[in-house]
Amino acid sequence: MDNQTVSRRNFLKTSAVTGAVFSLGFYWPGNAKSAKVINAAEANKFGVEMNSWVHIDASGKVTIFDHRAEMGQGSYQAVPQIVAEELEVNLNEINVVFAQGDAKKYGNQVTGGSSTVRGSYKNLLKLSATAREMLIQAAAKKWNVPKLECYAEGGDVIHKPSGKKLHYGQLVEAASKLEAPKDVVLKKRSEYKLIGKPLRRLDTPLKTNGVAVFGLDKQIPGMMYAAVERNPRLRGKVKSFDDSKTRLIPGVKNVFKVKMGVFNTYREGVAVVADSTWAAIQGKKALKVEWDDTGFEHLDTEEIYKRQAEALQTQEGLPFKKQGEPNEVIAKASKKIDVIYETPYQYHAAMEPLNCVAHYQDDKLEIWGPIQAPEWVQDYISKEMSIPKEKVIVNMTFLGGGFGRKAFMDYPHEASVISKEIKAPVQVVWTREDDATQGPFRPGITYRCEGVIKDGGIDAFKVKLAGQNNNHWRGGKKDVPNGSASEGFLKPYTESIKNLAIMDIPFETPIPTMWWRSVYASTNGFAFESFLDELAHEAGKDPLDFRRVYLKEERLQKLIDKVEEVSGWKSRAKGAGYGVAITECFSSTVAQVVKVSKAPGGGVKVDKVWAVMDCGWYVNPDTIKAQIEGSIVMALGAATIHQVKFKDGMAVDNNFSTYQMPRINDIPPIDIHIMDNDEDAGGVGEPGLPPFAPALTNAIFDLTGKRIRKLPFNLGMV
Amino acid sequence: MKQNNKAGKGKLFSVQAAAAPAAAFLTILIFIVSVGASAFRKDDAPVKEIRLIAINRDSVESVKAFETVYKVLMSPRCMNCHPAGDIPLQGDDSHLHAMAPKRGVEGKGVYAMKCSNCHQDTNTPGLHTPPGNPEWHLPPAAMKMVFQGKSPHELARQLIDKKQNGNKDIKKLIEHADDGLVLAGWNPGEGRTLPPVSHADFKKAWLTWIKKGAYAPKK
Amino acid sequence: MTKITLNINKKEYPLEADPQMPLLWAIRDLAGLKGTKYGCGVAQCGACVVHLNGEAVRSCVTKVSRAVGKQVVTIEGLSETNSHPVQKAWQDIDVPQCGYCHSGQIMSAVVLLREKPDPTDQDIDDAMAGNICRCGTYLRIRAAIHLAAETQKKTAPQG
Repeated sequence: MDNQTVSRRNFLKTSAVTGAVFSLGFYWPGNAKSAKVINAAEANKFGVEMNSWVHIDASGKVTIFDHRAEMGQGSYQAVPQIVAEELEVNLNEINVVFAQGDAKKYGNQVTGGSSTVRGSYKNLLKLSATAREMLIQAAAKKWNVPKLECYAEGGDVIHKPSGKKLHYGQLVEAASKLEAPKDVVLKKRSEYKLIGKPLRRLDTPLKTNGVAVFGLDKQIPGMMYAAVERNPRLRGKVKSFDDSKTRLIPGVKNVFKVKMGVFNTYREGVAVVADSTWAAIQGKKALKVEWDDTGFEHLDTEEIYKRQAEALQTQEGLPFKKQGEPNEVIAKASKKIDVIYETPYQYHAAMEPLNCVAHYQDDKLEIWGPIQAPEWVQDYISKEMSIPKEKVIVNMTFLGGGFGRKAFMDYPHEASVISKEIKAPVQVVWTREDDATQGPFRPGITYRCEGVIKDGGIDAFKVKLAGQNNNHWRGGKKDVPNGSASEGFLKPYTESIKNLAIMDIPFETPIPTMWWRSVYASTNGFAFESFLDELAHEAGKDPLDFRRVYLKEERLQKLIDKVEEVSGWKSRAKGAGYGVAITECFSSTVAQVVKVSKAPGGGVKVDKVWAVMDCGWYVNPDTIKAQIEGSIVMALGAATIHQVKFKDGMAVDNNFSTYQMPRINDIPPIDIHIMDNDEDAGGVGEPGLPPFAPALTNAIFDLTGKRIRKLPFNLGMV
Repeated sequence: MKQNNKAGKGKLFSVQAAAAPAAAFLTILIFIVSVGASAFRKDDAPVKEIRLIAINRDSVESVKAFETVYKVLMSPRCMNCHPAGDIPLQGDDSHLHAMAPKRGVEGKGVYAMKCSNCHQDTNTPGLHTPPGNPEWHLPPAAMKMVFQGKSPHELARQLIDKKQNGNKDIKKLIEHADDGLVLAGWNPGEGRTLPPVSHADFKKAWLTWIKKGAYAPKK
Repeated sequence: MTKITLNINKKEYPLEADPQMPLLWAIRDLAGLKGTKYGCGVAQCGACVVHLNGEAVRSCVTKVSRAVGKQVVTIEGLSETNSHPVQKAWQDIDVPQCGYCHSGQIMSAVVLLREKPDPTDQDIDDAMAGNICRCGTYLRIRAAIHLAAETQKKTAPQG
């Protein structure tokens, strides 16, 4: 091949011959330095199926299927770490394979809501222990000894009295034919060899030499590339387009109108199919499209927030939670706090822009991509394109970040439609500009917080929110309050504050919105926890002590003690500002303390962050720490650097040049602690995000007396 | 962290205000400036080389020409690469360059953030993309040639001081009007405003300023 | 289309490409090396960093013509066994989360450590602020660079 010119066409031909090298990179040996590639059709290579997660071949090689997306949060590590524990195999000797979307085999595979571990660990522990018991039983039978004299370790079954040993590969055939025991005994936490240990991630070596296959790296023989010029307003249509310049670009093969399903509507665009990504992008740039943008409003950011603010003054909203007589107490009070908090729209900005490979053939469709929700994609496309569900095969690659945006069906649907049109496999590549401007975005919510302090305590507490409800886009009822109206706010407050109201004012715009890491907790956390800080100051109480009064549960008291201890709260440095915030989402509670000081060049700087997470039972403490570090960095960006602004109904900033991200020189030291207890597992990927912004602004108040009620703000201008 | 650095803007505005096109006002301004310039001439003579080559010394004309020169040099297209600190500026609002690339000893960046890692020989197409030039760099650390924050007086003095201008004599200063990087200011890439006057007008003002004696305005 | 030859990871790749095509797409789509990533296309994020004659250029804005006659090294060519001190440090500290930006992060860090074998935190900021990591692995990147510097010191020939 060295002496031959590798043109694009030649390359495609050669890669068809050596297809395996480039295709189907969904199978990776767990700790290998380079990847082997095995086709989905060759799945029997994994040996005998003990259950949907565990296959063992005759040599004893154990393959564990990761049924969840790996988008950085660590499912590729956590799922095998759980399975290997009860299965009694060494983690560094196994294969890990991404499972295909298959709800019948794996149940819920939607990687969202911080649910990978908490949603499946009990099942995984049980089915792994069951497989182990069957392997032990098969050995006992073979040796004709009592099962109780045998035990499993490191992929072997050992007969304790004689020292006889058989590896799982020698037993799996017989074991798989045994009846599964009903009530296996699971290990106690104290007996764990793997779970709870900060083991190195199995996918790290794949990510230090370019071997990991992300969606954008996926190639299949004969694959074309496509870029799509989409209407920048979701509800707009294509009126007409001129592709004369596009068709002059070498490599451009086809141009046509295309639409993809987004919620209950379709986004329209013009697809350019070419033989390289570059040609497709150039072709897209050369298009002249006339849009039809009639029939809906084209809003500016200012108008959205003006309407939200007006609604908060003129409307009472729908009660999400109401108890006691908050309105009466507020009306009668001689002094009350009545303040507005404002949070911006945000963009997910995963480093890997959206993309998807689709191959439509006669009666079946196969998809490969960075996909958070394979079964949703399967369901949606099956219905939209009238293909039986079992004929829609959805493969997950590694995801270059997701943060919620990749738990959606629009981009796989669009790729499938294009593949069907051109009758060839295609990779649809979103440019960063496409990714940044199309949404759906995190909605920006405005809050009106009213409160009364009496005798050093909360006499009335009322929060109204106005902002888009993601559920409305998915056909949710409009006469009920947003079910996430208090997401992030600790539930015990709603029990210990007598006069309390949380009200939601339904609000809509034509701008599409969806979940963004930690969803409504990411904005609610700021409003509720800042407001609590205001109430604490009004009451003349220490902000941490003030919270302690309302959070009586022992588990929360321990969390507060811990954050107080590790942050040195009681001996806070003079000349610095300290702020605290505590939020809960996806069954985990996180307390954070932020320390700030005056920056030499003006404004303030963040000196340090302390975070304590109570997520109950957990798998890998180092993964948890990484998730909290990442959550804090993402929260820092959303609080102090970036926001999505709209003009004339379109997102303004389209790339990192104007939508700046936090960078290495922006990041303070972060000190993380995890609570140890025997509670059920909670989420890990998101709960670290919401408390950061309020802890930061509470700290700034402590330092400067200035209360920041609008995000994002510029640290240098405080 | 991400604050805009607007130092120097206030002074720039005051110069623009002074250049308002009211004839009477202009006359008064020139009068004041010339008084100032003559005061300067007594205390602080221009450097020798310039005196030798200046064909037709005229402090009023020279200082007037420098108004245009100053406007151009303090425009983002010139000032952004003559920052007060060691990080270049960016954009029409002259904010600190995102990702904070450092000057380095030679003015060509450091480590993984050397200018030419992003800035190519030519402008990259598109909005907010790296402008390009084969010589793209900042002044070197040993001679930073700062424009940002400089008053007309300070900048004029600096421009003719060989210890601060890159060891340029009058001939080299004149040639510098056609330097590749200077010209790049008038080919800034999509979406960036041009300097306030054309390159031809700038060059004319530059040469007038120098040839009439390179006088520094009083302020 | 022009016939050009790129030298990538010490191997010759004869290609047919538009000379204006960014090096990134030539590496990915024509040479088939997918370790170098597309992140922004405008030199803002650093996911596409490769070494061009040893410098950490952003291949998304570098025309392929600029690379002709020069040595291109991508993440795949950094070491044969995933064992460059920077790769080892990344593994020891488990730096990556999603991993998408880390080809570029590692390529940038290698240039830093070549030019400044014992970098301070400020040096790390000065070298690495051009590489965005949306997962927020920055503290680990910093720790791994310090670790790689230590390793390099220990393994460097004495005298």
